[in-house]
Amino acid sequence: MLEEFEKIWYFMKRDIISFSTYKTNIIILVLTALFGALSFAYLGSNASVQSVVQYYGTNYTTYLLIGLAFSSYLTQSLTLVQKTINPWALEEVLVSPTRLSTFIIGSSIWSFIWSTAIVAIYLVVGVFIFGITLSINILGTVIVVALGISAFIGFSMIGSGILIVTKQGDPVTALITIATSLFGNVLFPPQVLPPVLQAISYVLPQYYFFKCIRLMLTGSTIQIILPNLEILSLMCAILVPLGYAIYSLCLKSARKNGTLSWF
Amino acid sequence: MLQNENAIQTINLTKTFKSKNSNPNAGPFRRKTTSVKAVDHLNLEIKKGELFGLLGPNGAGKTTLVKMLCTLLPPTSGTALINGFDIIKQQMQVKRSLGTLFSVGERGFFWRLNGYRNLEFFAAIYNVPRQKREERIMEVLKLVGLENSAFELYQKYSGGMKRKLSLARTLLADPPVILLDEPTTGLDVISSRNVREFVRKTVQESGKTVLYTTHYIEEAAQICDRIGILKQGKIVALGTPNALRAKIKNEELIYIVVEEIKRSQIEKMRSLDGIIAITERTAEDLMPNQTGLCLELENVDQLPSIFGFLFGQKIKLVNFKREEPTLEDAFIELTKRE
Repeated sequence: MLEEFEKIWYFMKRDIISFSTYKTNIIILVLTALFGALSFAYLGSNASVQSVVQYYGTNYTTYLLIGLAFSSYLTQSLTLVQKTINPWALEEVLVSPTRLSTFIIGSSIWSFIWSTAIVAIYLVVGVFIFGITLSINILGTVIVVALGISAFIGFSMIGSGILIVTKQGDPVTALITIATSLFGNVLFPPQVLPPVLQAISYVLPQYYFFKCIRLMLTGSTIQIILPNLEILSLMCAILVPLGYAIYSLCLKSARKNGTLSWF
Repeated sequence: MLQNENAIQTINLTKTFKSKNSNPNAGPFRRKTTSVKAVDHLNLEIKKGELFGLLGPNGAGKTTLVKMLCTLLPPTSGTALINGFDIIKQQMQVKRSLGTLFSVGERGFFWRLNGYRNLEFFAAIYNVPRQKREERIMEVLKLVGLENSAFELYQKYSGGMKRKLSLARTLLADPPVILLDEPTTGLDVISSRNVREFVRKTVQESGKTVLYTTHYIEEAAQICDRIGILKQGKIVALGTPNALRAKIKNEELIYIVVEEIKRSQIEKMRSLDGIIAITERTAEDLMPNQTGLCLELENVDQLPSIFGFLFGQKIKLVNFKREEPTLEDAFIELTKRE
């Protein structure tokens, strides 16, 4: 009997030792739990409901549904490039006469189509079951979605680049995920947060993306969202080339050191 | 593109890896960075249509060389030409000229797709024209003997089938130069032989150039036109399998089987002129009264005196043969030399 307990102890010891080697991952897990709990404190609170009416002129259900539908879209974009860096698939593609940009776009396209289907399901359920009212500006929606995805692919390339080099947890993706739930204008308007934390929202593309997309789905015109759209475009113009440069640089470094297939 | 008769040519090709001392007890500030030359100023020429075997122990630099040739790994210095294209300056042309099979190549496939669909994807990224794609896929599947399993899921393939599909992928774009990095590692005897036969047949029939890395000596000897032995990133011997065997053939080896020989008589034989060494060899086919002896001689001129000694001692000679060094002998000898 004692031997069996000893075995159980060694199973646990093995897991503790393995787990403790992923230090970045541990920090990320703790932060995710912490910020996740904080964001739920604001979810559906009176302040949130009132802010939604004040800033968007819709009910909280519409606000939340659009937020959830399109956050799944952004989450897909965020993990997109990372999914392509399966080291063996990466080597096989890199030895073929295929450009890196073709590889990234080609590996992403299906995820976008799938995400669009998921968003459509959310909206259909919202309209037919929860009775929300949508008045969609199609051109505006396409522009906002394209900009939102581009910004997140920028983040995704930065995170994946770091992952290619460090081979461990990707802090960029984790931080963006946490920031999206707490400051991203997904579950509650950032206006309910203390002013210091609100400032974080205003430097994130998520805030402008969700603000624009909600207005484009609830009957506003492009002219109304133009100032926010300009800020989102500027962020894309910075994030996409920066992400591509970091990803290429990290890939080059891993190739130089021969560590591309180490994971 | 440079016109020359070489399909692969390396020019002072060097790859140095830097690594930190991984000893956790060394402390973060005491870890020294060390440099390891995986490939060291390598100059190698492989002619068009040649099947060249690169032989070397683990860590000799074989895979590093293959990864540099297929542009996956940038060299630290020097360069190489593939089909006349520079691996640093003309990477796209190099990739179009090459088919590469990595030793763990199966992992690049998509397990939930069947063999045909996997190849269809790779045909697209290797620029196989759309109108020829289907025909070409079926052609290579037939070449490797997978035409009847083309529509089975990849995850259901056996190890041998997976390796065959890797070979099929390597040939998809009909490249003039093929790099095969340990293509038979992990395969059973029959699958290995099939792969070797396939490579030999394909090369002979299509005139492709193949760089075939392996650490199986006899495998290289069976199929390769020439063999290079790589040690610590340098070619230590180069030639046909026979030429490599001859390189270590400085002395003659004679194997004899005799009856009723006494230990004292063996000792006397050792003192004969021209005998370097005598070793006893056990063999299953020896009778209880028989002894197998391996005689290492300076040259064959000593044979008459040895036979004279045996007859004089009334020792019956049952068998006699001259032994050739194997390629394995050559490999061990050449890789242990400083």
